[in-house]
Amino acid sequence: MLHRRIYQFFIIYCLGLSGLFAFKYTLGLSDYVIPSPTDVWSTAQEYLFPFSMDVLDTLGVAVVGHMISICLAAVVAVIGGKANWIGSFIKMAAYNIQAYPIVAVAPIIFILFGDGLTSRLLITAMICYFPLLLSFIGIVSQPVPDIEHFYDVTGQTTWWLPLKVRMFENTGKLITVISGSATVAMVGTIIAEFIAADAGIGYRIRIALYQSDLSKILVALFLIGICTSLYLFALEFMGKKIQQRMDVQ
Amino acid sequence: MVTDLKPYSEADNYKMHIDLKGISFRHEKTDTLVFQNTDYRIQGPGFNAIFGPSGVGKTTLARIIAGETRNFNGLVDKMGTTRILYTYNMERLPNWSSLGEHFSAVSGASKKAYLEEIIDIFGLGSVINARFSQLSLGQQNRANLTRYLVQDFDVLIMDESLANVDEATKQRIILKIKQAFPEKIFLYISHNVVEVARFCKDIIVVRRPNRQPQVKTVSGFDFSGKEEPDQQTLEHIMLEIMNAS
Amino acid sequence: MKIYQIVKRLLIMILVWLVLVPSGFCGEPLTEINYRLKWLLNTSAAGDIYADRGGYFVENGLRVVVKSGGPERDPIKELELGRAHFGVASADQVIRALSKGAKVKVIAQLFQINPLQWIYRPDEITVSTPDDLKNKTIGITFGGIDENIMKAILAKSRINESQVHLYSVRYDFTPFYQGRVDLWPIYRNAQGPIIGARMEKAGETVGYFNPDAHGIHSVANSVITSDEILRDQPELVENFLSALLKGWEMAMDPDNAEKTIAMIHDADRDTPLAVIAEQLSLTRGFIQPNPDIPIGRIDVEAWKQTEQMMLDQGMIDIPVHIEKALEVR
Repeated sequence: MLHRRIYQFFIIYCLGLSGLFAFKYTLGLSDYVIPSPTDVWSTAQEYLFPFSMDVLDTLGVAVVGHMISICLAAVVAVIGGKANWIGSFIKMAAYNIQAYPIVAVAPIIFILFGDGLTSRLLITAMICYFPLLLSFIGIVSQPVPDIEHFYDVTGQTTWWLPLKVRMFENTGKLITVISGSATVAMVGTIIAEFIAADAGIGYRIRIALYQSDLSKILVALFLIGICTSLYLFALEFMGKKIQQRMDVQ
Repeated sequence: MVTDLKPYSEADNYKMHIDLKGISFRHEKTDTLVFQNTDYRIQGPGFNAIFGPSGVGKTTLARIIAGETRNFNGLVDKMGTTRILYTYNMERLPNWSSLGEHFSAVSGASKKAYLEEIIDIFGLGSVINARFSQLSLGQQNRANLTRYLVQDFDVLIMDESLANVDEATKQRIILKIKQAFPEKIFLYISHNVVEVARFCKDIIVVRRPNRQPQVKTVSGFDFSGKEEPDQQTLEHIMLEIMNAS
Repeated sequence: MKIYQIVKRLLIMILVWLVLVPSGFCGEPLTEINYRLKWLLNTSAAGDIYADRGGYFVENGLRVVVKSGGPERDPIKELELGRAHFGVASADQVIRALSKGAKVKVIAQLFQINPLQWIYRPDEITVSTPDDLKNKTIGITFGGIDENIMKAILAKSRINESQVHLYSVRYDFTPFYQGRVDLWPIYRNAQGPIIGARMEKAGETVGYFNPDAHGIHSVANSVITSDEILRDQPELVENFLSALLKGWEMAMDPDNAEKTIAMIHDADRDTPLAVIAEQLSLTRGFIQPNPDIPIGRIDVEAWKQTEQMMLDQGMIDIPVHIEKALEVR
């Protein structure tokens, strides 16, 4: 499964790269506009290792940011799912914050948290938590009457029990949503690094853009694709294991 | 004997009963009239049935009695019945624990001995360590009913709760319930006319809203395990039920 | 059958597009002249705005569309793709592009002195000489020209990079306002009046560290075109350049200040007139520091120094012989 995902990505990447080179040579563009294959190759040889470290750094932040956003979305969904004033206030606040472009909110984040790891994590979480939030709200606010009924009528319901029931019953959906948002987490981290940080592959891309160095960007894109595939595979693998275990039960 | 409204004396007002007065109900989504100014009294303890064709409003009536449906007009007077539970055959136990763990979690320590007895009679001992999803439909029905029977209640409404259980086990369960809870009211919703005629004290026949009165009562055989009903008596009761519905 | 015909037509349309569009990219004369600036329409583009709104392009028979730039716009790439005829780029962009085989020529140098300087608080630190940079936290845009300039200053002054703390800057000034960074790179003519005013309002004094004053002559905004246009359409280049430089001369003439400010304000509504006036006054010193220097003069030595600086710092691998790409008039 992993090797299939990797070679599928490799095919897509090669197709994209071939298209770019075809465009370059058809129009006779210089290496400044689109680098030559040898330029890309030599850049890859020089930067593959340092960029790999940067991508791993980014991946680390993306994973932590993803986890934060999962927790954040779960908390907001639980509170926002309640039909009281606080619930509707939290839900409205969550929707409003998401409506603001991150580049406009970023300066406030920098003032509050500086421009280090915290800001990267926060921006990543803000970018990827919304799709999670929508799904989580959908799941936690949707009763499972066939299970919850007994607890309701016998007075054995606690605040936690309906959540537990709804999350347990929608485990498959939760796994799909969490895996799906992993890509957004990676993109979110890269954006955060692009606008804020002084580390990570997003930061390297920013420098490469300043230098109009498309070769570096192509190498970075390759590594980002590989790492994202690995992360997605890991999440899907864990999800599959959880699902299998539940099916056995 | 078929009666439009079960007759009761002044003295009955001080005994356990559920009185439905002028009940009207309309489904909001489909705008279908289900009950129109319906009166009925369920008197005293016993194993009774609610019977009627599909879609006539048996479940609605059950939920009105249980207090789970509130948007109706009329009055439900529940004399001597402070705790009414309603259970239906589609209910599921959470799959994160075994039957045994679940039963222990939802029943008090005082019910432990009784719980074990029910598990035995209901034939669930062999699957006590299994998860709900691993059970057959009949076992699922029995497991669900088991946990309700170990709760405190005055009235238990069983909406097709034994729908997937074989006849022999069903008889064993009903007789056990009748023997163990002589002071409680049971309302057993079923489409099986033989079953309700044989086991139930009163069969509350629910009819379409265009027929008045909308609820009629037929007296059943109320078999409690001692004297078997003869075929003719049963057929007579069944005929009365069919005529009333 | 019908679907087959639709697919066939679509394929023909795509083929026609593929054949026609590249030919359009590669130098077919366009009906209008596109001029891509390096940055937004503000005081740093005073002469460009004046030439456009003053009607000098039209006088020379040209219909020029002055397009604002930005970090995501690269005038050199647009030249090569045929989307622009002329553009404004800094020396580092031109040299980097030449090193990658781009066919680009410099036809005028608008800024004789690079307005890139470092703002600091004289009340807190003294930066009179490059030596004063030691142990300071200095903001630089990694990958940007300010990185080259600062590293050149440090190298020239024999200051090791470990003796300063280089801080990666972004678009917002928060770390500088918070005092976490001692020196922050700004464009003296465009950003100086705004940031300086804000700091003075907060009761702080403002100082600027000017690399040019310490012998680092790097070239900023210059007018570029492609080899192809310069070779095939010299008249177009001449007409464009004469109109453009006339616009700059008029814009830099103090007698035209009021008119120039009004034109800039018309293009840049968000900047108050008073700020534009101050920006314009500062810009004059960078465009024409000496009346003897004609506007648009290409300072070959400064270009060579910029190239050398980039070579020294490994920004380019081999010399590009920048003088060959300079169309000195």
